[in-house]
Amino acid sequence: MSSRRHRSLPVVTALATAFLMPACATVGPSAPACGTARRLAIVAQSVPTASYVPCLATLPEGWEVTRFDVESGHTRLSLAPDRGGGRDVDVELSAECDVAGATPEPARSPGARTYLRLTTISPRYAGTLFDVFAGGCVQYRFDFDRGPHIPLMEELRDAVALFPRRQLELDLRRTYGVELNVP
Amino acid sequence: MDRLSASREGQTGYPISPRVAAAPSGRRRRPSGEAPPLPRQVERSTVWYVAAAVATVAFWVGMAVRPIFTGVTAADVAVLRGLTQLRWHPLNATMEQISTIGSGLAVRVLAWGTIGLLLVVRRFRHLVVYFAIALVVAVVAAGVSQVLGRMRPTDVTILGSWDGYSQPSRPVAALAVVLAGVVYTLIPRGRWRRRGVWGAVAIIGLFCLARLYLAVDHPTDVIAALALGWALPVTVFRMMTPDDVFPVTYRRGKRAHLDLSGQRRSAIVKALDAQLGLRVTAIEPFGLEGSAGSTPLRLLTSTWDGDEVTLFGKLYALSHLRSDRWYKFVRTIRYGRLEDEKPFSTVRRLVEYEDHLLRLLRDAGLPTPVPHGFVEITPEREYLIVMEFFAGCSEIGSARLTDTEIDRGLRIIRRMWEVGVAHRDIKPSNLLTRGGEVFLIDVAFATVRPTPWREAVDLANMMLTLALASSAQQVYSRALLQFAADDIAEAFAASRSVTIPTQLRTRLRNDGRDLLPEFRRLAPQRKPVSIQLWSVQRIGVLVAVIVAVLVAAAMLAAFVQLAGLI
Repeated sequence: MSSRRHRSLPVVTALATAFLMPACATVGPSAPACGTARRLAIVAQSVPTASYVPCLATLPEGWEVTRFDVESGHTRLSLAPDRGGGRDVDVELSAECDVAGATPEPARSPGARTYLRLTTISPRYAGTLFDVFAGGCVQYRFDFDRGPHIPLMEELRDAVALFPRRQLELDLRRTYGVELNVP
Repeated sequence: MDRLSASREGQTGYPISPRVAAAPSGRRRRPSGEAPPLPRQVERSTVWYVAAAVATVAFWVGMAVRPIFTGVTAADVAVLRGLTQLRWHPLNATMEQISTIGSGLAVRVLAWGTIGLLLVVRRFRHLVVYFAIALVVAVVAAGVSQVLGRMRPTDVTILGSWDGYSQPSRPVAALAVVLAGVVYTLIPRGRWRRRGVWGAVAIIGLFCLARLYLAVDHPTDVIAALALGWALPVTVFRMMTPDDVFPVTYRRGKRAHLDLSGQRRSAIVKALDAQLGLRVTAIEPFGLEGSAGSTPLRLLTSTWDGDEVTLFGKLYALSHLRSDRWYKFVRTIRYGRLEDEKPFSTVRRLVEYEDHLLRLLRDAGLPTPVPHGFVEITPEREYLIVMEFFAGCSEIGSARLTDTEIDRGLRIIRRMWEVGVAHRDIKPSNLLTRGGEVFLIDVAFATVRPTPWREAVDLANMMLTLALASSAQQVYSRALLQFAADDIAEAFAASRSVTIPTQLRTRLRNDGRDLLPEFRRLAPQRKPVSIQLWSVQRIGVLVAVIVAVLVAAAMLAAFVQLAGLI
């Protein structure tokens, strides 16, 4: 009996692993936090011209990261607030963006300009927030239930910060001896 | 020659060899430490692949340590700088084209093509292993890249497009695992597989070179991806779908048969010499079409006196054990546990059982082959049972049967009832005739102290087999000389399509006469014996099968999503 178990163990293990692995894989993707230069570097590499890179400052309670995709040309991450009405906030870093029709807002970082374009305010509060800076732009597409949208917008602003590329270069050079920029 | 001392006065004792060491040939005990006739072999490359996989895991752990990360990155960048020095502008576009080999579309086409072909050729074990390993590679690659969070190469100009963290290189791992799948699940072992491996190595090598030339990956990203996407799958395929047991073949016919040439042939000769004292001069497959549960063969042996004797052998391996398990498992689901459907736990048990049955039936005076014992080819994996070869016999039904032959056939059942044994596989290919004699072969399925139902089924199958070469009326009238009419009525009340072996069922269908209804008309009327038995165990097995199907569906969905196949 024990020998039979022993022989079928590899197949059972393979099947169990194959079945259980998706559960492990669905553990939330880890978007770079602002203090982690090593992880943040790839975001900077995705848009080499961007003078700022978006990073997670403090994820408010009830929020979670549901997606983090970084590739040459842009970085996308999605944040899901538990009170947002079931729709994620999509954050995208790209080299440029169209802010036509957007209203200027107080700048979120020195060297950046912030705009807000609302598509609807009732029954939902939806639109796009822009952080525009030299060589790049971050868009935040949101679609909240009306009511909790005011604290949610505040929390969104707190959740994602802009990290200066120059500071990132310094950190990488000092800590890992890595030159982010191509000579 | 010395003799062992006699246990009783008047006896002469047994001759023994005066030598301390065993004789170089002939029956001998295998000393401790000596390899069996066909040792289980692990290819040298498998050892290297396992070492590479272990080293890769160690490397990933090390990358979490800052000095190692810094050192590895510096070395990687130095190599990439050297490669960028070799960049030649006209070559850049070509390299970018080559880097599309590992694009999602190419990988998807290869993966779905492999899955489709495996389904068409019904190679389900390979399919399950392929699913599992592709899923594991996809998940590990994604998980490690998330945990390590390694940037793309720095300090060099990246020419191509990229996606996600760089360690390990997921496109390289994906291409490698699908190519490993093609090579180890679709290409038969031997020359074609060797060519396939070299082809895959060339494609992967070119792809890696292009990615390094374009500086989208670090060299260590590529190496780790190769360990994950090639070394690991190849090792798993070799472990879980060994070619000896699950050969990749496109030949028609039964796949359960083992190759009897090369190392196995030498091992059989060696084993028969050392373990049974048989000098084999020729080995040839025999009656492959009639056997799915073993690899039957004919052995030409020469005695020490120079006489030649032909023997019959059946080679059993893990594949046969698994076939037996599946057969019994499916029967348990379809009909409930009619009788002893418990599978054998090992190949050794399977062959021991058949050897035991041969001896039991011989002692009972039944016309079955004389057993000569069995030999171990590979411990716990492969055994060869040897028995008398019925030379000059023909399968029953090749000529019209006489009353004597019918009586002798029925006498076999009568005798088995007296002894308390059921054959459980009575069909034309297991009944041989020669000069009016009738012989019974293939006792592997036989059981001692069977259920009354099974004994009745044996009688029905024997009567149907005999009637194929005579008539129902003739067989029935002869049967009444040895069995009560009620016995015959019970036999045909217990008989169903499922209780009739496939070969016999086919012959009955082709015969054109409705032999089964005819026997039922001849025999006294009797209520059919139920063959569907419901038990807690059967319900449990059914539930387990449903759960397994759902798990498989979940696996498929996860595989499709995680491996990026859609």
